[in-house]
Amino acid sequence: MRPYFEKMPGFGKELKENRIARTQESRARLEALEAEIAAARKAKEGVGLPAAEINKRGALTVWQRLEALVDAGSWHPLHSLYNPRDNEEGTTNVVDGLGKISGRWAVIIGFDNKVLAGAWIAGQSENILRVTNLARRLHIPLVWLVHCSGVKLPEQEKFYADRRGGGTPFYRHAELEQAGIPIIAGIYGTNPAGGGYQAISPTILLAHKDANLAVGGAGIVSGMSPRGGFDVAGLEELIARARDIKERPPGRIETHYGETGFLSRVYDDEEGVLEGIKEYMRAIPAYDPMFFRVAEPAEPRLPAGDLYHLLPFNQKEGYVFDDILARLVDASEHMEFRPGYGPEVYTGLVKIDGMLLGAIGNRQGLLPKGYPEYADYPGIGGKLYRQGLIKMNEFVVHCGRDRVPVIWFQDTTGIDVGDAAEKAELLGLGQSLIYSIQQTDVPMMLVVLRKGSAAAHYIMGGPTANRHNAFTLGTAATEIYVMHGETAAVATYARRAVKEKDAGKPLEPVAQKMNEMAQKYYDTSRPAYCARYGFVDEIVNLAALRGYLKAFAGAVYQNPESICPRHQLMLPRIIRG
Amino acid sequence: MAEEIRAPLAGNIWAVLVEAGSKVEEDDELVIIEALKMENAIFAPRAGTVSEVRVKKGDKVAEDDVLVVLE
Repeated sequence: MRPYFEKMPGFGKELKENRIARTQESRARLEALEAEIAAARKAKEGVGLPAAEINKRGALTVWQRLEALVDAGSWHPLHSLYNPRDNEEGTTNVVDGLGKISGRWAVIIGFDNKVLAGAWIAGQSENILRVTNLARRLHIPLVWLVHCSGVKLPEQEKFYADRRGGGTPFYRHAELEQAGIPIIAGIYGTNPAGGGYQAISPTILLAHKDANLAVGGAGIVSGMSPRGGFDVAGLEELIARARDIKERPPGRIETHYGETGFLSRVYDDEEGVLEGIKEYMRAIPAYDPMFFRVAEPAEPRLPAGDLYHLLPFNQKEGYVFDDILARLVDASEHMEFRPGYGPEVYTGLVKIDGMLLGAIGNRQGLLPKGYPEYADYPGIGGKLYRQGLIKMNEFVVHCGRDRVPVIWFQDTTGIDVGDAAEKAELLGLGQSLIYSIQQTDVPMMLVVLRKGSAAAHYIMGGPTANRHNAFTLGTAATEIYVMHGETAAVATYARRAVKEKDAGKPLEPVAQKMNEMAQKYYDTSRPAYCARYGFVDEIVNLAALRGYLKAFAGAVYQNPESICPRHQLMLPRIIRG
Repeated sequence: MAEEIRAPLAGNIWAVLVEAGSKVEEDDELVIIEALKMENAIFAPRAGTVSEVRVKKGDKVAEDDVLVVLE
């Protein structure tokens, strides 16, 4: 199959001077928003105790541990701004992302020991759920930096119980292990109760000499003699017990290394634990990337910096999707699937770091005359019509057959609506796409370039409507909502406006309500909002997008659950005809 | 040879990006029509010189109205 992949057709046009000139403001707005996101990320990294204070106590911060653990240049953070329960700490108190350790990809997560000594807080279990799902979907190890003081007791009602509550990581770890995915834990600090289970539930346990893991910590054990209330005499007893137990807290290293033997290894210094993780990572099953490469890796022929002039910040402005994709894929080459059919959607094979991936994206702007063929109105990119839906169904089915992972790019206003659209079966074709995606069982990722809207956000590989979306990225131009705020205001208030008019009442209050609703939609669809509430897993600079694509490609081909021999691939042959 | 560039759909002229005498390359943007809630760029089908611009910002155009004449 070498002739298919070594040199694929080039695509994408050079950026023109007049477009560069005309898009300076758009570029500035994109970069300004990227700077805002970077500042928010930086602020979140600094929450809690200063690093110097942690270091003074003889420990490293989670960020310092990550710095020492992860291969240089391979860290791709996720959930940086995630804080879905609006915690006052501004964080879910875990830090996670994709990174390489000893040259192998892993999903890496650690408690932020600067904040409440790494306590469980609200929203954290949702964050961990995303991380365990990610390891499961990419079929790569999960690496934990455990340093967890257990439940933030004054707020336990927010996260202790519930089907998706604080204990769910423990059975999710078990599920990963059942699927053959190892969890390697480096354990630091005091880890009582929930923290103890965080420490014990992974596959391989490596601990620092001062670490501690226990069913119940010293605080709980010393407080286990309630008299039905507190008085001074009782407190005196409590103080004595607390002093005694502080000397010899339960769950010491001497217990869990020397007696139970839970811990595989214990290290005298912090860095030793990280070296231990690296050693175990070298021992995991991982293909050399050359095993699955269909061609030598190559950077795009067209520069990533052009993206700032190609993706308009103005949501109403069209652009050429193919020109954007050409700046993200190896050598700016591709093999387009059914180019003359379903013109509102791009489908094709591309290479990322020499590995084969499927790409699907919304095209923008006016569609050729006569399309959609079932209607007497013109078609516009970003919307989905019959042929585009059929084409995406076909493409993902072929990707499933060929075991080719898929990258989706969304900028969609939705599926065409109206009587003609219903007769053209768009409702059924949209749901069919969800079914087709689910059937493929190949890993997918999504980039919401600008709009993710209506059911189209679901059916085009969105995280809401399938189990194969490993992660979703947004950009500085991303906005995600069920429909545009103005459309929603009309849908909500049109009848009321008619009633008020018929009753002879003033219309200004209705107009005000409509404006308020449109503004709320705007405010709750911004990139930072999308990241905070988990609509996306990270907002990424346009210039950094390709790095995440490479991380995805490297991760999914590291140890895939199933393989299609390259000489038995059908998609390239179907495309060639 | 003169070539008339026509509106592919009805809408409002949002921006005119060329003037008479402008030299354009294939795929350069000529005019932007606001229609279907989007700003739709009309591109030059080939390289040439704009000999005439028949619309201005704010004009309403019908489908097939001539926007620009390209020499």
